[in-house]
Amino acid sequence: MTQDLALVTFTALDWLWVIVFILVMIACGVIFYRLGKRSESEFFLAGRGLPWWLPATSIYATHTATDTPMWITGVIYKYGMRGIWFTFFCAWCSVSAFISTRIFRRSLAMSQAEWQNLRYSGLGSELLRGWLAGWQTFMNMFVLAWVSAAMGKVGTYLFGWPHWVGLITFTAICAIYVLSAGYWGVIMSDFQQGVIAFIMINLVCCWGIYEAGGPTAIVDKLQVLGQSWRLNPFHFDEEFPLPWFLTLFLMATVGGLGMGNFIDWYPEAQRIQSAKTVRDASYCIWAGGFITLIRNGFWIPAILAFYVMFPNITASKQYEVGWFRLGFEYLPVGMIGAFFAGILAIHLSTISSHLNLGALYATRDLYHHYINPKATERQLVQVARLNTFLLLIGCFVLGLTMRSITEWLIFALWLQAAGIWIPSILQVVWWRFNSWGYLSAWIANLVMSWLVVWVLPAYGVIPKLPEYQQFWLLAALVALVYVPVTLLTKPDDMKHLVQYYVMARPLGWWGPVRREAIQRGLITAGEAASRGVGNGAIA
Amino acid sequence: MARSRKDWSPDQADEWTIHDLLACILSVLAYMLVAIGTAGALLLQAWGFVALIGGIVSVVLMYWVIDPKLRAMSAAFAKRQDEFLKHVDKTTRWEH
Repeated sequence: MTQDLALVTFTALDWLWVIVFILVMIACGVIFYRLGKRSESEFFLAGRGLPWWLPATSIYATHTATDTPMWITGVIYKYGMRGIWFTFFCAWCSVSAFISTRIFRRSLAMSQAEWQNLRYSGLGSELLRGWLAGWQTFMNMFVLAWVSAAMGKVGTYLFGWPHWVGLITFTAICAIYVLSAGYWGVIMSDFQQGVIAFIMINLVCCWGIYEAGGPTAIVDKLQVLGQSWRLNPFHFDEEFPLPWFLTLFLMATVGGLGMGNFIDWYPEAQRIQSAKTVRDASYCIWAGGFITLIRNGFWIPAILAFYVMFPNITASKQYEVGWFRLGFEYLPVGMIGAFFAGILAIHLSTISSHLNLGALYATRDLYHHYINPKATERQLVQVARLNTFLLLIGCFVLGLTMRSITEWLIFALWLQAAGIWIPSILQVVWWRFNSWGYLSAWIANLVMSWLVVWVLPAYGVIPKLPEYQQFWLLAALVALVYVPVTLLTKPDDMKHLVQYYVMARPLGWWGPVRREAIQRGLITAGEAASRGVGNGAIA
Repeated sequence: MARSRKDWSPDQADEWTIHDLLACILSVLAYMLVAIGTAGALLLQAWGFVALIGGIVSVVLMYWVIDPKLRAMSAAFAKRQDEFLKHVDKTTRWEH
């Protein structure tokens, strides 16, 4: 069975791999249909009863999107091994596992938008919840459209299919098990997809190293080419200065103190709440990030192998597909289908996560919270399915109309990352930081990021800055707004803060709230005497 | 290694202590060392193997430092979770 105009020729064995994989994924939806329809909590959090290794695999699968191989290939080909620091942002999981994950899991908020209601009080908290719910519903649809469009390009590139075939077919297949089983379908298929993706990624990497002549040959060729600096992860020069490394390192590690300062936080927040206990939540986040970095450790030598095989590629669009080329051009006959199944696994895990997550915000934070607070569990599951379907249709419409969107996506992610990075930490560690401060940071960030990234350089007011300088400039400019706003507005209601403190036990500057909790008899002073969750006296 | 302790009461485990800080430091170290160690070891670089072993040791130490505390805190919280869920539902209601 072959395709005309196709880059890749599939044998019957290749198609068998793909068909078996798709059938197994759809079976997930059928098997877990009954569990998913029981309640809103089951449809979106699998009943909060998962052992750590299930959401951990899902976190790894979610951190591996369709474009991830291209992005990582791009930075490693360009920067050598030091390019690993661009991929190090997932190290927020290393700190978050023991700080913000623990706090968030104890809050029991079903989503990050709901957490805003627990942490803050009054009108500001409602505005924040509504804003985050709307933003996340849209962002998930945007990501779905973008990832589906990427799959459309892969279908065209590999098989010569029309763009819409790859875009619609695999996303629609994924929707079957997300619609029927909700998060149960997502998590169970993510487990299989995570395992398959991990095996196939590492297999292709090892094969690429072998094709380049083995590890020693790669090192020797780099020396012959005068490129041995590419083996040094701490090689700093004008192209990648030390401050850039420090920015990436601090962003990742210190960022683990906060909530919502990375786009990945939102799907991972869902996984945190789906874990059975606080301990399971901590380990799922830690292990998910850890496996992701091990995967990156495999990718680096494979991309260096590609570099020594093709050292003179200058166009980024050509070298970014380097890892795909290692798989499709060098794997033996019969394994191409397994490789494609691995790519499908990467694709489906991203699609399923964002379909369910977008529906979570639309259902829990918009419909259930604002439109029908007295909805029955049956109604909520029906609305959840309807929202999943609407997201699917929205992603098809958006995906078929967007062409060159990578730049826009990076900008959208940048909007979220830069200016609200510090406020997202402050809302966790400082009791006085209030809803108006956080809301003003979001609004200021929307304005400032346009100015710093696009407008001011275009008019020559400031030079076009490297990303790490943009990051700190945005952080400083946005602080000029949210610090005064926070200090000039009232703190959140103390009773509300005390309730949150007793339950979530946040880290940091919470002295006045802690003292108030002690005064009210909800906790007692001293390490050994703290009663915390033991008395449950928070009502 | 005086920083490890096994006898956490749930109340003590609720407090932030030096163990949390140590776990975070060891965790970051493990992430860094394993990431660059895997890459270096696959290229048969001596520093790669050293980093990889260092990363694995960091993981073991991190688990040793933090797991008893996490177990104690988790167990106590799990007992009260249903009650807390009702509280969350009440607190976050739009009609509240």
